[in-house]
Amino acid sequence: MQFEYQSLVAINPVTLIAQICNLFIQLFLVKKFFLDKIKAILDQRRAAADLEITDAQAAKAEAMEIKATYEKNMQEAKAQANEILDRAQKTATVRGEEIIRQANDEAAHIKQKAAADIAQEKKKVLNDAKNEISGIAMTIAEKVVERQLESSDHDKLINQFIDKLGD
Amino acid sequence: MDISINGAQVLARISGVPIFGTVDITMTLIMSWVVMIIITGVCIWLTSNLKVTDISRKQAVAEMGYEFIVNFVRGNMGAEFDHYIPLVCTIFITSIVSNLISLLGVWSPTADLMTELAWALVVFVLITYHKIKSSGIGGYLKGFLDPIFVMAPINVMSECFTPVSMACRHFGNILSGTVISALIYAALTAANNALFGALASSMVVAVIFAVVGVVLFLVGKKLSKGLFKVLGIILAILGVLAIITILGADYPWLTIGIPAIPSLYFDWFGGCIQAFIFCTLTTLFIKQAAGD
Repeated sequence: MQFEYQSLVAINPVTLIAQICNLFIQLFLVKKFFLDKIKAILDQRRAAADLEITDAQAAKAEAMEIKATYEKNMQEAKAQANEILDRAQKTATVRGEEIIRQANDEAAHIKQKAAADIAQEKKKVLNDAKNEISGIAMTIAEKVVERQLESSDHDKLINQFIDKLGD
Repeated sequence: MDISINGAQVLARISGVPIFGTVDITMTLIMSWVVMIIITGVCIWLTSNLKVTDISRKQAVAEMGYEFIVNFVRGNMGAEFDHYIPLVCTIFITSIVSNLISLLGVWSPTADLMTELAWALVVFVLITYHKIKSSGIGGYLKGFLDPIFVMAPINVMSECFTPVSMACRHFGNILSGTVISALIYAALTAANNALFGALASSMVVAVIFAVVGVVLFLVGKKLSKGLFKVLGIILAILGVLAIITILGADYPWLTIGIPAIPSLYFDWFGGCIQAFIFCTLTTLFIKQAAGD
């Protein structure tokens, strides 16, 4: 069978037009079945990735907020603790001073009382001694007077006196 | 022997069509449609069952191809020309598949100048559109008088030759591959006839060749000499093929395998590089036209 061939470099308007049409048909097919589909899936993936990033950013912001709140609370608590400590210290100082003052007062009071007691006692002792001395003097005077009265009884009187002293 | 290198085979001739007169249904058209079906089929197959995460190997390939084309167009033209991605992609894929389909032994649509000329004319229309758009119709026409008015004919010619040169560059490279393949095939057939004409002239020669080959191979193996082994294998194969030829199976044996080596360059490398060049020129010309 004999085939019919075109020449090697043939100008064929029909083929030319047909090939232009083929190019556009192919363009449409490639776009519809390949490029658009891949583009859609890539866009979808990008959107998913973006969503993930947005989520992560939101989570991070939230975490930062929580951290800030926590830090603020911590600071407040610290301040409060300091305040309490300060107050306690102040109270303690005041109380201490008061106690010391009270103690001093009491000590002074006790001292005073003791001094008064001592003075009183001294006075009493002195009075007693005075009384005793006057008594002795009286007694001695009596004895002297008595002896003058009865010299015979001289020895007896002295012994009596000594005995009384011994009591 | 005769070597004939022809254009596309004419399968049917329809006469009496309005406007065109006689319409030839050529192999170019048929193979273009085959290429289109193959491309569309591969596209549908590649993009079936697409997933956002946990993608298949097939989808990874499809996405890689897409990224390649997008990066190619953006690299040459910039992101504002993204709407040319489909055109460049289509020309690129169609060109590669058309060039490589010749490896299957069928007519390649790109071996017909009309195919490349069709693409180049589309590109030419786009180039002209962008030139007029960027500098106005007056500016476009004035551009032909640059730098002086006597240059006008040369400028017009250079403008018209843009698509012609684009088409012819691609066509010429594919054609040279086709021509050289035909020449190599013819040369190998001739060499085959000469070789086996001598070898297969008598059974004795053929058998001697085969036996000597086997002996040489065995000796080479025993002495562990590579040269003997290779020589032995070649002689043995020639002898066996000669015997087969004598027994009636006459075939140009040398044309098996050997033409694949030059085809590696002319079909594979040339086919891919021409598709790439055509698309590079398309993008650069359009960019240049829009930029001025």
